[in-house]
Amino acid sequence: MKTETFHYDNRIVRAFAIATVIWGLVGMAAGLLAAVQLFWPEANLQLQYVTFGRLRPLHTNAVIFAFVGNGMFMGVYYSLQRLLKARMYSDRLSWINFWGWNAIIVGAAITLPLGFTTSKEYAELEWPVDVAITLVWVVFTLNLIGTILKRRERHLYVAVWFYIATAVTVAVLHVVNSLEVPAGAFKSYPIYAGVQDALVQWWYGHNAVAFFLTTPFLGLMYYFLPKAAQRPVFSYRLSIIHFWALIFLYIWAGPHHLLYTALPDWAQSLGMVFSVMLVAPSWGGMLNGLLTLRGAWDKVRQDPVLKFMVAAVTAYGMATLEGPMLSIKSVNSLSHYTDWTIGHVHSGALGWNGFIIFSMLYWLFPRLWNTRLHSVRLANWHFWIGLLGIMFYAIPMYWAGVTQGLMWKQFTPDGFLQYPNFLETVTQIVPMYRLRAIGGSLYLLGTVIGAYNLWRTAKSGVFEPDVEARAVIQDAPRQAEHGHRWIESKPVLFTALTTVAILIGGAVEIVPMYLIRTNVPTIASVKPYTPLEVLGRDLYIREGCVGCHSQMVRPFRSETERYGDYSKSGEFVFDHPFLWGSKRTGPDLQRQGGKYPDAWHYNHMEDPRSTSPGSIMPPYPWLLTRKLDTNALPARIAALRKVGVPYPPGYELGEAQAALAAQARAVVANLALGSITNAPPDTEIIGLIAYLQRLGTDIKAAPSAAAPVAAAIATP
Amino acid sequence: MIRNVLSDIGGVGLYGVISICLFVTVFTGALVWTLLQRPSLMASLGHLPLADGERRRNPEGDSHHE
Repeated sequence: MKTETFHYDNRIVRAFAIATVIWGLVGMAAGLLAAVQLFWPEANLQLQYVTFGRLRPLHTNAVIFAFVGNGMFMGVYYSLQRLLKARMYSDRLSWINFWGWNAIIVGAAITLPLGFTTSKEYAELEWPVDVAITLVWVVFTLNLIGTILKRRERHLYVAVWFYIATAVTVAVLHVVNSLEVPAGAFKSYPIYAGVQDALVQWWYGHNAVAFFLTTPFLGLMYYFLPKAAQRPVFSYRLSIIHFWALIFLYIWAGPHHLLYTALPDWAQSLGMVFSVMLVAPSWGGMLNGLLTLRGAWDKVRQDPVLKFMVAAVTAYGMATLEGPMLSIKSVNSLSHYTDWTIGHVHSGALGWNGFIIFSMLYWLFPRLWNTRLHSVRLANWHFWIGLLGIMFYAIPMYWAGVTQGLMWKQFTPDGFLQYPNFLETVTQIVPMYRLRAIGGSLYLLGTVIGAYNLWRTAKSGVFEPDVEARAVIQDAPRQAEHGHRWIESKPVLFTALTTVAILIGGAVEIVPMYLIRTNVPTIASVKPYTPLEVLGRDLYIREGCVGCHSQMVRPFRSETERYGDYSKSGEFVFDHPFLWGSKRTGPDLQRQGGKYPDAWHYNHMEDPRSTSPGSIMPPYPWLLTRKLDTNALPARIAALRKVGVPYPPGYELGEAQAALAAQARAVVANLALGSITNAPPDTEIIGLIAYLQRLGTDIKAAPSAAAPVAAAIATP
Repeated sequence: MIRNVLSDIGGVGLYGVISICLFVTVFTGALVWTLLQRPSLMASLGHLPLADGERRRNPEGDSHHE
């Protein structure tokens, strides 16, 4: 039997590992600052760049794509080479992957604080960055497939399947959700509107969780857990079933983010059923991980790597039980828009992704630097402080979520809302926001301790860039292979089958929505936004208002009493992008138009507490002085026309500016009625007020919204 | 109102039925195929992470090399 000597590339693993630690600290610090602002709005340092609306996407992007993303690449680049007994296909591609990905993150760290955002959650980055992400992801996928093709190990271990599923699905999700028409260097409008945009976004959003935060890490669990426990996975059979069931089910579950919204009922039910079914493969995977440690639980007491891993897998199990539960429509009616969702997300992010990454880091650093871990004691401290941090984070969020959800729905015996003032339901839970910040601080403190420990570990050893390895050369003709082994032996075919599995789910969900496009009853009175409102809406997007305010009144009495008529899908046909939101830190704004005078909005933006004492909304004084960018209008109107908003041809060339000026003068006149006489007509606040006053008013002009449909049906 | 929208798409209920059928087929297929595999093959596949062919000194003294 001939053997061959080759070298594993540890340099690329080291680079991703260091980036993981650095971005982890940055992303968590941004999260902590955002958390503090929710009980102390002045913590925005009076800077628009780090005010909650812009800081939140920075935090989510930093922890998801920078911390977890680099952690994923670190684990994949280490395990893939060893599972396939081959160096990465191309060192050059590896480094393009590393520098490209991290340049994208730097791009995000610059553009998001500047307010360049699409507003679509976890897909906020604007189109030039979207293009860059696509290119880097293609490089990663090519490197992955190339390595698989030149492997020395005949079989593809189950972890590699998870990596393949990750690569192809993330590519599909990212491209489909990022189809947008540019309206400037860092501004674009999605080709989808309203209901369609919402469905595509949450098909993406949910599966970003599935295929970026879950499947690669399940692959990593199937590699690093057996490595750390020094025993094979409990059941390899179960891991195969886990894989196919999981990737097949996950892709359907997106609509559970849109329960009770204007999304068609069948899509909501489909999302709910598949979400509930997901608990089976998820728990199959969790049990497979935990049972791998059967007979080795004594090691968990001593080894911080296993400690973090076991806690991570347990957190995965809890989050994947809670997720399906939250997808049940009746539970969701209480939990949605509250902090319960935030608690759920963080038990997954901090517990599952965070801890599994720390586990890998503690396992990898001593091996990369050929040394021992600097301090097991410090690693244990990190573990317990981190665990305490998760508790202090999640429990107050559950408490806050349930409390606020119940308060929103509470009626008096006479049939009136018990808490008609939304603010009352916020001030009630502010103490929970303080506790949450303590939880976040603890978790960050643990990470700082971990970073120090890892740094000392690296310092005490000698890094080995190329590790020599030996494998048997498989030059003999392969025997005929059947079944799954035959598929495994053809990685390109395997990749194609995986793609088909995820595309079926995506297609069944999304294709009917394309049919709906022509079937959404156009409500005759719903018109495109005026030029001033377009710019105002773009400011609403820039400031990240959607992070705290929904625009979707659900068909519950508690909501129609509080906000007004429930939302109809026909109202959103010109909304590129949709701004339904997923969290109500402030009240819903769908029926905000005409509720207060223009001057109220002016004062409220300048100092929210002057109109709403006790409000935790940050002030937006810069809107009162910054000039409205009317020069951007032609490009934006043209782009909106391209995505389907029926502005007349040439409208942007003169008429639009005149209409904008006229409406701005009207807003200024309204402000004068409210004793605000010094408002210049060319400031941003004028555009924002115009947009806010338009919200949800079109339908009020048409008391019988169904009339056009009825007329259409009656007319042959 | 939502139901009115969808009444215009023929047989929308079919999507749910198709999806469940597809899933059951794939799941049953994977299950049956997996159970038919030889235990020795499954065991050898499960051992893949433990044999990475690395040749070097191991300061931790565990078995992360062959």
